[in-house]
Amino acid sequence: METRVGPGAREAVFAQLADAGRAEQVAQRLTDGIVLGVLDPGERLPSEPELARRFGVALITVREGLGILRDAGLVETRRGREGGSFVVRDDAEHRTIITARLRGLAQVELSDMAVYFGAILAGAAERAAERASDEDAANLAGWLRGADFSTAAAARTNQGGFLLELAVLSQSARLVREQIRLQAEFGPLLLLGLVDEAARAEASEFNQRIVRAVVRHRPTRAREAAGELVAMLARRLLAAKARVERGGALDESHAG
Amino acid sequence: MSRTPAEAADAVAEVFRDVFDQLAAWRAPIEQLLGSSGEIRPVILDTTVADLVPPRLEEPDPMLVGAGFIADGEVVRGKGVHFAWWLGPLADNPVLGSTDGPTRLDLSTRGYTEYLRDFRALEWYRIPATTRHAHVTGPYVDHLCTCDYILTLTMPVHDADGERMVGVVGADLAVRTLERALLATFLEVDEPLALVNEHGRVVLSTEPALQVGQLSGPGAATVACAGTPFTVRVRPAASGSS
Repeated sequence: METRVGPGAREAVFAQLADAGRAEQVAQRLTDGIVLGVLDPGERLPSEPELARRFGVALITVREGLGILRDAGLVETRRGREGGSFVVRDDAEHRTIITARLRGLAQVELSDMAVYFGAILAGAAERAAERASDEDAANLAGWLRGADFSTAAAARTNQGGFLLELAVLSQSARLVREQIRLQAEFGPLLLLGLVDEAARAEASEFNQRIVRAVVRHRPTRAREAAGELVAMLARRLLAAKARVERGGALDESHAG
Repeated sequence: MSRTPAEAADAVAEVFRDVFDQLAAWRAPIEQLLGSSGEIRPVILDTTVADLVPPRLEEPDPMLVGAGFIADGEVVRGKGVHFAWWLGPLADNPVLGSTDGPTRLDLSTRGYTEYLRDFRALEWYRIPATTRHAHVTGPYVDHLCTCDYILTLTMPVHDADGERMVGVVGADLAVRTLERALLATFLEVDEPLALVNEHGRVVLSTEPALQVGQLSGPGAATVACAGTPFTVRVRPAASGSS
């Protein structure tokens, strides 16, 4: 697949929700997508009926969720033929929201999410290395070579896309579904650290290690590299939490 | 009474022949429609395909999970690449939710537009465009349409001169549906068998050590499934890779 932007990160924003507190979940999912740059400023969200169908909730639940976003100043709703809900551009506001989200989750919750994400991803990587044909592996390598990691937004989109393409090569529909679900629930936070240029370079290194292991059919090495990638992202996430808990800035470049 | 590997291969060929016959039956009216004018209006094309495809997806125990026509750019007025594609009822789909009837694949609301900009490079379009012949892609996990393990069958649609490929008619077949159609026949063969694609990837296996999705090693004998890229491997070895 000669693609530049993987579909995973964007599609995951709209993946189906679990049962409890659904309006809040609608709001949380879209908030993460917006503040972490998966959804672009000025972008029109899918229509309310379409959102209802995709999240698997009632129309009124979607309206309630969008209401929460409007109150938070993250979307604005315009009426008429060209109407709909549009993502508002406000970086300062976005940083405030991410900070609050990080403070709201305990260290133990963040690291447990990373453990689970890492377990699924490592399993997918291992199977991919075992099961990818030479052609599949060459396609994945080609995809990664063309993927842009130069900016935080591009890196988040393409990192999500890469992990999904990797899961696809496991040949397991369940692993792919779980990977999509986890990227929806946890991807935006886990990929927070990619705002840092050094982290993007590090993630690229791990991605290339994974691809090399897939190309050479080395399942154990693929598993290790996938685990180390998630461990690196988790370390950066926990460091960001520690910074905001101390009252500091979200990312290192703004600290001090 | 036991069967031979050749009979198992015939059963595979028959399933695929039926789906390709279906694609050919859909292709004829679409080719006629496109041949009668220059650019076609999207509503005309969509109505034609909507009359052909969704009824087949609604049948009890449908063979197909999705099907339709995908037009090349500049074929449909005012459109680039145009998807007239329907999905059958989906159970518990993490991306699309569950549906109880056929739904139209709507790319404009899915953010796939960017991803599919180079869709003509994807195997299910690229190969028919290059070879001018029908093609089977997979088995693979399709994360765009169904989030399921499927095979995609595509057949080129040409313009009135028969020169330019103006799109493909296609159908998605779930591997589990194919298994339901074939497993009993495969189990009636005394020796273990694996149905594999051109890369050796297993679609169906009666050798428990060799599972669906794995790459198979060589078999003691091989029987081609006529009209498909698949072969039946008799007493297949597990893959060489660990």
